[in-house]
Amino acid sequence: MNKEISIIINGEVYQHSVPIRMLLVDFIRDVAGLTGTHVGCTYEGVCGACTVHVEGEAVKSCLMLAVQANGRTITTIEGLAVNGKLHPLQKAFNDHHALQCGFCSAGILMNMAEFVRTNREPSEAEIRNALIGNLCRCTGYAHIVDAVKDVVGGAGSAGAARQ
Amino acid sequence: MYPAIIENYDAPKSVDEALQAFAKRGSESCFVAGGQSLMQAIKARVLSPKSLIDLQHVTELKGIEYNKGVVRIGAMTRYRDIAADERLDGAYQALRDAASHVGDRQVRNRGTIGGSLCWNYIAACMPPTCMGIGASLELVSKAGKRSLLAEEFLHGPLETARRDDEIVVAINLPAAPTTCGSAYKKWGLVTDALPVVGICAYIELGDDRRCRVARLAVGGLATGPRRAEAGEKSLIGVSANDGLAISKAAETAATSTETQSDIWADADYRKKLIETLGREVIVTAFARAEQGKRS
Repeated sequence: MNKEISIIINGEVYQHSVPIRMLLVDFIRDVAGLTGTHVGCTYEGVCGACTVHVEGEAVKSCLMLAVQANGRTITTIEGLAVNGKLHPLQKAFNDHHALQCGFCSAGILMNMAEFVRTNREPSEAEIRNALIGNLCRCTGYAHIVDAVKDVVGGAGSAGAARQ
Repeated sequence: MYPAIIENYDAPKSVDEALQAFAKRGSESCFVAGGQSLMQAIKARVLSPKSLIDLQHVTELKGIEYNKGVVRIGAMTRYRDIAADERLDGAYQALRDAASHVGDRQVRNRGTIGGSLCWNYIAACMPPTCMGIGASLELVSKAGKRSLLAEEFLHGPLETARRDDEIVVAINLPAAPTTCGSAYKKWGLVTDALPVVGICAYIELGDDRRCRVARLAVGGLATGPRRAEAGEKSLIGVSANDGLAISKAAETAATSTETQSDIWADADYRKKLIETLGREVIVTAFARAEQGKRS
């Protein structure tokens, strides 16, 4: 019923014996104590608030068991800023007021952090399409899209438009 | 939404190890591919497997191989990798159309073609797409190997020809002439939602640039994915610029397909969707086949 697993989260090794049925998101929150990763839709896999990086790729941590992440390297929202320096997306979210209640922000930042790394100069439509897996019930997404545009740069970016 | 107790978890590294794990754990065990549908079912306790056999580390099941035009897609190949593979363009471009709009980025980072086919959810894109492009599935068990056409493999929703002890190892696509094109399109209640109707068209042109082979496959049906054979027949001999004949074929596909009413759409509306989307994918498939003809 239990299995001994070892997962690297934000550079730290977490070695524990956990029930096989434990979801990865619960391992992150309850075992590792990293509560920046949120549960928005009672684990239904639709809201994206629990998005983390597994080997650098954005995945929903409620759709994986902790045992499936054994031996893997994971980054959560707590690991997005490096040496106290905010990720450009985090700064842009601040600048553009891209959140209101902030419950969805961690998941959106983790999804977008992989997106901006792997997509050069995406269009607004591509950014909006990339946000499909994350629900935000406050902002209407407009400021979130502006913040992402600001980071990816290019002529169409909100930052360029302002200047 | 939390799984029932799971007693065992195996993470085999090869197909052989996976088959051995199944033999050891017995029929109350379950293979998990990307887990983007299955984990939801396990959490909702639609399924409560005693043992899980996780195929994520079986590298021999991953990747797309091309050999003299024949395409072999490992069952554990993810949507994101299919969506990005331009070598599929032309004859098998419908796979990219479908894979690039399944779920969302996070789901495409883990979800797999083989997992989708084995789950055969009513509102899934891979089943009608694979049926439309004439794919066959390679299955392996301790008893041996067998190959089934997508339409033999895919039954009603959540039903397939796969036995519990079998693993789908690959999706095979025959070598296609350059004058082939395929396309897939779906319609759901919001962008990239689970499809209410999804339809795949495959067109092969003859030397006279008229349609020699046509396949249409529809998903979102209570019967499971189905070929629209009457619509296919009426495409034979048609050329890309014959809009009237293409419209007629799409209409025939719609009227000849049995549709159901449910909370998402009533039966007549589904027929309208089959007709409209059908026309669009046929036109796109023709255009892609024409492009192959020119190049």
